[in-house]
Amino acid sequence: MTFWLPIAHALVARKDLPIPAWLFAWGASIVLIVSFFALSIAWRQPRFEDERWRPLAPGASRALLGLPVQLLCGAIGVFLLGFSIYAGLDGTAAPDRNFALTFLFVTCWLGFALFSVIFGDVFRPFNPWRAVGRLVGGAFTLVAGQRPAHLRYPARLGRWPAAVGLLAFVWLEVVYGANGGVAVGLSPDTAALAALLYSLYTLAMMAAFGVEEWCRTGEVFSVYFGMFSRLGSFGVKEGRLGRRLPLASSTSWATVPGSVAVVVASIATTSFDGAQEGAFKNGIVKVFEWLADAGLSLTASLRLSATVFMLLCFAGVGLVYLLGVRGMSTVGGAPSFAKLRSGFAHTLIPIAFAYLVAHYFSLFVFQEQAQFTFLLSDPLGTGTTDLFGTASSGIDFQVLSANAIWYVQVAALVIGHVAGLTLAHDRATAYWGDYRQAARSQYWMLAVMVAFTCFGLYLLSVANA
Amino acid sequence: MNSNAAKVALGVGTIAVAIVLLVVLKNDSGESTSTSDAGGKVPVIVVEHGKPVGGVKDLTYNAGERVRFEVRSDVSDEIHVHGYDLMKDVEAGGSVEFDFPATIEGVFEAELEGRGEQIAQLTVNP
Repeated sequence: MTFWLPIAHALVARKDLPIPAWLFAWGASIVLIVSFFALSIAWRQPRFEDERWRPLAPGASRALLGLPVQLLCGAIGVFLLGFSIYAGLDGTAAPDRNFALTFLFVTCWLGFALFSVIFGDVFRPFNPWRAVGRLVGGAFTLVAGQRPAHLRYPARLGRWPAAVGLLAFVWLEVVYGANGGVAVGLSPDTAALAALLYSLYTLAMMAAFGVEEWCRTGEVFSVYFGMFSRLGSFGVKEGRLGRRLPLASSTSWATVPGSVAVVVASIATTSFDGAQEGAFKNGIVKVFEWLADAGLSLTASLRLSATVFMLLCFAGVGLVYLLGVRGMSTVGGAPSFAKLRSGFAHTLIPIAFAYLVAHYFSLFVFQEQAQFTFLLSDPLGTGTTDLFGTASSGIDFQVLSANAIWYVQVAALVIGHVAGLTLAHDRATAYWGDYRQAARSQYWMLAVMVAFTCFGLYLLSVANA
Repeated sequence: MNSNAAKVALGVGTIAVAIVLLVVLKNDSGESTSTSDAGGKVPVIVVEHGKPVGGVKDLTYNAGERVRFEVRSDVSDEIHVHGYDLMKDVEAGGSVEFDFPATIEGVFEAELEGRGEQIAQLTVNP
């Protein structure tokens, strides 16, 4: 480190303008019109319960899923994680000049979510912990002559560890590292330390319960990106690459307990991040002042008040969903509450993805310019390295006009809404034998979806206000 | 789960969410107009003891206008306008003026770089 910089910088140098009132009104109207239109054209037989899986050419499976590619992808994953930790610990303390923060929180966190929807579960081959776990497991089998024995994973725990981990990850990013005018900031070395601790924890859990079992249930990023990959039309089944009906694979996602918590946590954390400098700002400031008056330090007060609102978000999103499920269970011929609760969880995945796009689309476009220019050439931010000759390039904030960002945001929410409604209606036709009862149950899910979509629009309309 | 208990729990939850929404909805902001309309006077941000007097100053412009403001500071520091990436040094007791075209739409911070203290929020509307 050659010079000292304060760590109060946010990564974001340009924040989005709030969407104007007229666009908010249009967006909300379109959502309502689309919803009622959907009710009127509703189909009577489930169409998405069967994925309609068609394998791709065997050559493609052999080439893309073979051992050499697995080894290569795993090695790339391990190298990039290791390099990020090194850059975080050894590089500059300025978050926007250090490779680690942008790479972990923007390139991977947002990039894998996006590419999972388009190309399928691409995180799986690159997952550094899975790669290490499989390598160690393979070596053990070779030496000991038998496969490693694992503890039985408690089935009831399901995906709860992933849900908690998801909250913790976003908490680290937006609460612990918040930049709310008080000089608190997620420093690269804190992020690197957190990545190290998470690696130890993950490898320990993999040793205890088995690599694939932990990836299926507890490993935050496998579960999170895997969830989004269910929306797309590419997937792997029994070692073969194939195509399927878009959205259809999500219908079998929530069969593991705790899945509701994962998708609710996803929506809640994104809404909280969108709201903390806008819609929730006054509330957070009030709780902050109250805590600071009670004698807590400023930093602790800020983090605690933000934590309270993040948990409120989680509870609020969960309650809206559970109310919808409760409503559905009153319709004649309904399955049990528990079956409905997990049976409709996947209908929230498109909403979660829409929230992600709406809130982080511009950040992704801006930070990826940094990622592939100065952060690539000068990853430690020393100011003296220039590996690829791009160290002096900056971010062109003019590539996106305010209008372009607004349209992408509103379009994402509306499309997510339609996809969510489609899945909910389809599931209802599968659960209710009687078509009319199925349609009646969907007034409840319609209300849930409209609530989430309009809340998303509302958050965008007061962003940073 | 007992169905009455569940109903009570959901009812209480709904009220909690409604209260949160009420708090949230109170935070309505009015339509903002351009700072440059305000009688042609250049806005001044006064920094005392390393903090902006009267809190973070809101500067709002339409794209294409000229952004002009002056900073008078009792501490020496570097002033950084994010996004536009403009930096100017200010001496203790001195002042410095910014004057540049509003070419990038969005919301940006201007801060005392050394202290990490935000002094202005620049909004450029399309």
